[in-house]
Amino acid sequence: MPSVCFYFEVHQPMRLNHFSVFNIGKNDDSLSTYFDRKLNQDIFEKVAKKCYLPTNRLLLDLINEFNGKFRISFSLTGTFVEYCERFMPEVLDSFKDLFKTGAVDLIEETYYHSLSSLYDELDEFEEQVKMHRQMIKRIFNYEPKVFRNTEAIYDNRIAKKIEELGYKGIVTEGSEKVLGWRSPNFLYKSINADIKVLMRNYKLSDDVGFRFSVRDWPGFPLTADKYAHWMSYCEGDVINLFIDYETFGEHQWTETGIFDFIKHLPGEVLKHKHLDFVTVSEAVDRYNAVGEIDVPWAISWADEDRDVSTWLGNDMQIACFNELRDIEREIKKQDDNDLLHAWRLLQTSDHLYYVSTKGFEDGNVHAYFSPYDAPYDGFINYMNILQDLKQRVM
Amino acid sequence: MKVAMIGWEYPPFKVGGLGTHCYGLTRSLADKNVSIDFYMPKTKHSLSSDKDNLVIKEVGETEIFPYDRPEDKKLAGQFFENVYRYNDLLVQKVNGKYDLIHCHDWLTMKAGVALKEKMDIPLVLTVHSTEYDRSGWLYPNDWFINIEKEGMEKANKIIAVSHFTKRVIVEKYGINPDKITVVHNAVYPIGESEKKNIVLFLGRLTIQKGPEFFLKAAKKVLEHEDTRFVVAGTGDMLPRLINQAVDLGISNRVIFTGKLTEEEVKHIYQISSVYVMPSVSEPFGITALEAISAGTPTITSKTAGVSEAFQNCLRVDFWDTDEMANKIISLLRYEPLHKTLAEQGNREINLFTWDRVADKTLDVYRGIT
Repeated sequence: MPSVCFYFEVHQPMRLNHFSVFNIGKNDDSLSTYFDRKLNQDIFEKVAKKCYLPTNRLLLDLINEFNGKFRISFSLTGTFVEYCERFMPEVLDSFKDLFKTGAVDLIEETYYHSLSSLYDELDEFEEQVKMHRQMIKRIFNYEPKVFRNTEAIYDNRIAKKIEELGYKGIVTEGSEKVLGWRSPNFLYKSINADIKVLMRNYKLSDDVGFRFSVRDWPGFPLTADKYAHWMSYCEGDVINLFIDYETFGEHQWTETGIFDFIKHLPGEVLKHKHLDFVTVSEAVDRYNAVGEIDVPWAISWADEDRDVSTWLGNDMQIACFNELRDIEREIKKQDDNDLLHAWRLLQTSDHLYYVSTKGFEDGNVHAYFSPYDAPYDGFINYMNILQDLKQRVM
Repeated sequence: MKVAMIGWEYPPFKVGGLGTHCYGLTRSLADKNVSIDFYMPKTKHSLSSDKDNLVIKEVGETEIFPYDRPEDKKLAGQFFENVYRYNDLLVQKVNGKYDLIHCHDWLTMKAGVALKEKMDIPLVLTVHSTEYDRSGWLYPNDWFINIEKEGMEKANKIIAVSHFTKRVIVEKYGINPDKITVVHNAVYPIGESEKKNIVLFLGRLTIQKGPEFFLKAAKKVLEHEDTRFVVAGTGDMLPRLINQAVDLGISNRVIFTGKLTEEEVKHIYQISSVYVMPSVSEPFGITALEAISAGTPTITSKTAGVSEAFQNCLRVDFWDTDEMANKIISLLRYEPLHKTLAEQGNREINLFTWDRVADKTLDVYRGIT
């Protein structure tokens, strides 16, 4: 009897200001000139109105309507929560209301949605996980049991670290490269750590996330009863549907019928007697691992490649990544909280995502999310800021 | 299929994109078994083609080029007369059995229209630039506009070198968009060579091409970076630009080459680290493709036709010399940026072949014959 495990990722990056080479070294400017406050506020408020508030309201109604049988999990990044607290506290309140129902679980991740798990040493990564833990404790008085790394980036080393930090489960992509012939609809165990791994069913997840409104897709139009039927044919213990939360109302607009789809989904799923809903913690408690996975090279849920080439796929991205990583010691020596925070905000993976030069199919997705005209503009801007930051501490 | 194509310039004797286009197009069409008689004015050296079904037919002599202006002193008031006389000559000389006539830009449009009526066959018109582009949108001359408008109205089909140009044809000349096909230009790749610390401008030194913005950006770059700037080409703005470089105090870092030969052009593309095309109005901008094909990362103005078609280049507003300087410095300073643009540009340039241009042009021909 497979359980349906919905998990939504909720994230907004701090997008950067236009920063030219002529701004580098003007140390009288404060660090806040790195970030485009106006653009960030506008985007956040727009997405809050189109997605966060209406979707939270709908999900709360559904949980109440089905007496908690409809269960979901969320992960909120630290930068997202900062936006809420700064611009629209009511968004955070609506997440608290959802959590209070008892049908909602929360997932841990790095506070900054960063790529720190790819650094040579994992101490910065650990600090960012602990920051996230403190934030969730402060706002929800809760300690998550399951961890999801930025964009589901996963390898053996990360799994080991997350086990050490006390988590019972970790989320990643149900990639064939790792699973081979095996199904993503079971829990697995890391080869080198005592931690359960939830593998994303990317086919069913992307049916909603990417294909929902694609007219030439054979599954179009996707209705709740059709989708529930597909799930009812699935074998295994748990169907992991991990989706960016902004899918609802933002990537897929209201006009596509995405909200009607969600509205009818719990009822349609529960019509099938052998299906139910679980949160990520419940999935980890209820089901045993059926096998081991061995992931020596990092995988992720991003793009067609489902590895880290989305952020480290070209020389420009690697140069930026290295520049930022290599000033860690100098930054921390300064004992300046604003500086440390700025350095960490620059670690958010989105800044490197905008610099990707991937081919046509993925490139379109990249362009949709990017505030830049082209990856080259993203690089110039980001690199200029990194040079300025470097000059402040070197 | 047999086509009478009327051009004005043909490599190696050419001054602009029109000649480059005619060369690539006619050769690739000939490879696709289209017979072409290419009519053009007599030049000092006789031209010939190595393909049996492509014949260059030189008709009379003239002193005018498609980029000339009536006020140019060397034409001494003879401009309009010369144009009319040459078009009349063409109408007499173009004879034979053709399936269609294909003209390029304003200079031979009158002849194209007259021949269409005389021979009763369809007329195709390729628009490489309009009077609005050539005047940099400052005081466009109605005499040219009227010729262009009549040609566009009478043509059965129009090929525009970019969507940008298609919009101009629709909005400024009132032409039905359905009869306009966009065919982006192409390039015969030049190939890479070792780079020197040079930032290049190459083009006619006219208001349309925006060379003064290049010099303004150069001044800003030189305050932060040690490099050399090359202004290649000639045109009516040359004396003004030399003065401008002196006034900006950068004349020791700017080299004016004057007109270059075909070989020199290839060489300068190859050794330059950055190519800048700051055109005020640029229907396409083949030079950008040439520079990229020589492994040189390129900055183009946002409105240039090439920038709507080609992804791996940098784009700026031509007037935004701060941003132009920011991008020039970034290309000189950040090796990974330079390398990625060169590599990705090289990959993408392979899509811009004359074979593709010929295919699309042939589609247009087939639609009306």
